[in-house]
Amino acid sequence: MNRRESLKAWGLIAPALLWTLAFFVVPIAIMTVYSFWQRVGTKTVRGFSLDNYVAFFSKTYFREALFNSLEVTILVTVISILLAYPLAYILAYQVPSHWQRLALSLAILPFWTSYVVRSYSWLLVLSAKGIVSKSLQTLGILHDPVSFVNSRMGTIIGFVHFFTMLLTLTIFANLVQIPRNYLKAAADLGASRLQAFWHVTLPLSVPGIMVGAFLTFVLCIGDYITPQILGGNKELLLPQVIMLQIGRQANFPMASALSLILMLVISLVFLVSARYLRLERV
Amino acid sequence: MNIRVLGFTLFISLCLGISFAQSELNALVWCDHTDQALLQPFEEKFNVKVNVKDYEGTGTALSLIEQSRPGDWDVFVVDSVDVPRVAEAGILAPLNEADFPWDDFFDEVKLDDIHFVNGQLYAVPEKFGYNTLSFNNKNASEADMLDLNTLWDAKFEGKIAVYDYYIPTIELIALSMGMKPSDITAENLPQIKERLFELKKNTALIGGVVGVQTALATGEVDIIVGGGEYVTAVLHEEDPSLDWILPKQGGVRWQQAIGVFADSEKKELATEFVKYIVSPEGQARLATSSCYWAMPANSKAALNDEQKAILRWDEQPGYLANSYPYYIPDAELDALMLEAWTEFLQY
Amino acid sequence: MSSLKRFLRLLPATLYVLLVFAFIFLPVVTLVLFSFQGSRLPIPPFDGPSLKWYGAVFSDRRLMAALNHSIWVGVLSSLLAVALAFLAAYALARVKLPLSNLWRWLITAPLSMSYLIIAMGLLITFNALGIAKSLVAIGIGHVVINLPLCFAIIFSQLGEQQARLERAARDLGASELSVMTLITLPLIWPALFAAFFLSFTLSWDEFIIAFLLSRFDVTLPVEIWSLLSSGLNPKTNAIGSVVFGVSIVLLILLETILLGRRRRT
Repeated sequence: MNRRESLKAWGLIAPALLWTLAFFVVPIAIMTVYSFWQRVGTKTVRGFSLDNYVAFFSKTYFREALFNSLEVTILVTVISILLAYPLAYILAYQVPSHWQRLALSLAILPFWTSYVVRSYSWLLVLSAKGIVSKSLQTLGILHDPVSFVNSRMGTIIGFVHFFTMLLTLTIFANLVQIPRNYLKAAADLGASRLQAFWHVTLPLSVPGIMVGAFLTFVLCIGDYITPQILGGNKELLLPQVIMLQIGRQANFPMASALSLILMLVISLVFLVSARYLRLERV
Repeated sequence: MNIRVLGFTLFISLCLGISFAQSELNALVWCDHTDQALLQPFEEKFNVKVNVKDYEGTGTALSLIEQSRPGDWDVFVVDSVDVPRVAEAGILAPLNEADFPWDDFFDEVKLDDIHFVNGQLYAVPEKFGYNTLSFNNKNASEADMLDLNTLWDAKFEGKIAVYDYYIPTIELIALSMGMKPSDITAENLPQIKERLFELKKNTALIGGVVGVQTALATGEVDIIVGGGEYVTAVLHEEDPSLDWILPKQGGVRWQQAIGVFADSEKKELATEFVKYIVSPEGQARLATSSCYWAMPANSKAALNDEQKAILRWDEQPGYLANSYPYYIPDAELDALMLEAWTEFLQY
Repeated sequence: MSSLKRFLRLLPATLYVLLVFAFIFLPVVTLVLFSFQGSRLPIPPFDGPSLKWYGAVFSDRRLMAALNHSIWVGVLSSLLAVALAFLAAYALARVKLPLSNLWRWLITAPLSMSYLIIAMGLLITFNALGIAKSLVAIGIGHVVINLPLCFAIIFSQLGEQQARLERAARDLGASELSVMTLITLPLIWPALFAAFFLSFTLSWDEFIIAFLLSRFDVTLPVEIWSLLSSGLNPKTNAIGSVVFGVSIVLLILLETILLGRRRRT
C-alpha cells in the first residue's frame, strides 16, 4: 500500500470519524465532567464532587427508578420474545412462500404510525371507556369498566406492542437463513418434530433472538414517551427522572450523572450479549 | 447523491432559511397562548409571526431560559406570584403603567406588591382561576366534594387524578389539614408529605393539564385534585356531568401575568403584544382559548353571556373570597417541596 | 379427510397469528377509526364519520410547519449520514489501515446507545458552547444516530465482487474519482437507497433528540407531543392517520422501485 493511497483513505474516513468524535464522544465526555459538578439553588457550580452519585444511591426515588426501569425492560423483553417467536416461526415455516412477504409486511405495518401517536392511541384503547373495556363488558366478561392504562401494565402493553413487531422481524430474518436440509437431516436421523426444533432450529435462531433482545433492551430502557403517556406517573422510570431533572430544575449535573448510570447499565448488557451481536451485519 | 446534489440541496435550504426570516416575536407561554385564534389577529395587524413555546410551571420556564441565549425570547407569560423573583433575577423589562387598562382589571388581581417591584411595573395580570377539585357529578356527589378530606375516603380508591404541579397540589393538601398555603414551612412539610403520600392509594394517575383532563373525560377517574374550571370548561359542552367546585376549606388561586424580556431586541413589538393580550378582544380570546378556559383579568373582556356563564362570571366574588393566592416558597423550601413531590410520584 | 386433518393441524397456528395480528393492529385501527369521530372525544361510541378533524389538521399552521421541518431535517440529515457513511465504508473496505477495527467500532458505537443519552450529551454540549437550539442541532443529532446504521448497511455491501470490477477499471486507467462515481456507486446504489430510506424513517419518527434540541421550530413528533398536551381531541388521530397513510404509500413506492430493479438485474 503506497503512502498516497493511505492518505486518501484517511481523508475518506475522516469526516465520519470526526463527526462521531465531535457529536458523540466529546458530548459524553462533557457530560461526564458535568456529572461531577453540582446544582446549588439556581446556579450550576463547577468543581469536583461525587454528590450526584451519592444522591443516586442514597435517595430511594433515584434508586427505585433504576430498579423499575430494569424490571419493566426485562419483562418487556421476555414477553416480546415469547409473543414474537411463534409468530416468526409460523411466518417462516408454515406460511406459503408467496404469502410470506405480505404477511411479514402486515406484521410490521404499525411501525409506520408515528411513535408518539401509537402510545396515545393505546391510552384511548385501553382506558375505562375505551374499546377493550367496552368490548369485554359487551361480551359479559367484565361487569364494570376496567382501565389497563396509567399503570405499569399500560407501559408494558405499549412497549410489548412495538417490540413484538421488532423481534418478529429479527427472528424471522434469522429463521429463513437456517438451511432446510438441517431439519431433513435431523428427521432422517430419527428426530421428532419437537426434537428437531429443540436441538436444531432453536439453537440456530439464538442470534436472531439476541440481536432483537439487545435492541429491545436499549430502546426500551432509554424510552421516555411510552411510560410518560401510559404509565400515569405513578412510578417513575429512569428516563422520566432524568427528564424531571432537566425539565423542572435545569439540574444538568444530576441529569448527567443519571444518564451516565443509564449508559453504564446499557454497556454492561452490551458486553454480556456482545458475542451474539454482529451489529455491523444487522 | 453526489457532492453537487448535496450542495444544491444545502443551497436551496439556505434560501428557504433566508426567506423565513421575516419579523418574528418569540413568546414563552402557558399552553393557552398557543391557540391560533388568539395569535392571529395580532399577527395580521402587525404583520409578524408569533412563535410560542409552551411550558408548565415556572421551574420549567426558568430551565428553558437557562438553556437559551440572551435575546432569544421577547414575551414571557408567568405565574403572577413569581414575577418578583423573575424581575429581581433581571429577566423582565420594566413596563409603563399607562400602556395598560389598569382601572379595568378586577381589584383582586391587581396585586400591586407582586406586579410592581420597588414601585416599577414588570408584568401585567392577564388571567386567573382556581386549583381545586374537578369531578364527574354522576359518580362523586357535590356534598362529598365540599370537604377536601373525603378525598382520602376508601370509596374513591383508584378514582382520583392528581394534577402534576407540586406547588398548588401540596398547598391544597395543606388546606385540607386546616393550614393556609402561607403556613407551609420546612418544619411542617413532613406532616403534609405524609398526608400527600396517603393520597397515593386513591390515586389512579398524576398528570399535566391534558393528562388529567383525558383521564376525567375517558372515565379513568372521577376527581381531579388540583383541577378547576381550567380543566372542565372545555369539556362541559361534551359532557355536562364534568364539573368543578371550591370546597369549604377553600382552594388555591392561580394567576398568570405577562411581561417583556429584558434581553428582548423587540421590546416595542413585545409591549404591543402585551397590550393586545390585555385588551378586551385579546382577553376574550385568551379566556376561551383551546388549551384551557379561565377568567380574564380585564373586567371589560368582550365575552358573550354564554361564555360568561361557563366561566361563572357572576359567582367570582364568592370564589375570590374563598381562595388563597399561590404561596411561593423561598428557594430552599421550594427544593424541599419539589423533592417531596418526586418522592410522591415514586412512592 | 386429509384436508380436514390439515385444517386441524394448521388451526392453532392460524388462531395464534390472528390473535397477535389483532393485538398489533388494535391501536392503529382504532386510531384511524376515531380520526373520523364527529364529536370532541376520540372514544366510543363512534359518532362519525366526519372529516372535520382532517380539516383542522390541514389548516393548523404549526402542524404543517412541523411537517415541513421534519421532511427537511430527515432528507438533509439522511443525505449527510449516507454520504459520510459511504466515504468511510469505501475506505475501510478497500484500504488496509492501521487499527481499522477500532475505527469501525468507533463509527458504529452510537448504535448501541440510547437516543436519550445522545440527546443529553448534545444538549449539555451545545448549552455549554452557547450553540442555539435549532433544526440544525436536531439534524446534527440525527446524523449521529443514523451514520452508524448507514455505515453498517453500506459496508456489508462492499464485497469482493465490486472490488474486482474497481481494480479492472483502475487497470484501464480510470481515476479514483471515476472509479467511485462510475463503478462503485452504480453497483451499490440499492444499499445507499436503503440506508437513506431507513435513516429518513428514523429521523422522521425520532422524538427525544428533537424535543431536547428544539425551540419553536420543531419537528412533527414534537409538535404532536405538544398537541397532546394542549387538549384532547381527534385531531391527534387525524394527523396520526395522515402520517400512517403517507408512510404506507412511500413504502409501496419503495418496494416497487427496489423490486422492479431486482427483476431487471
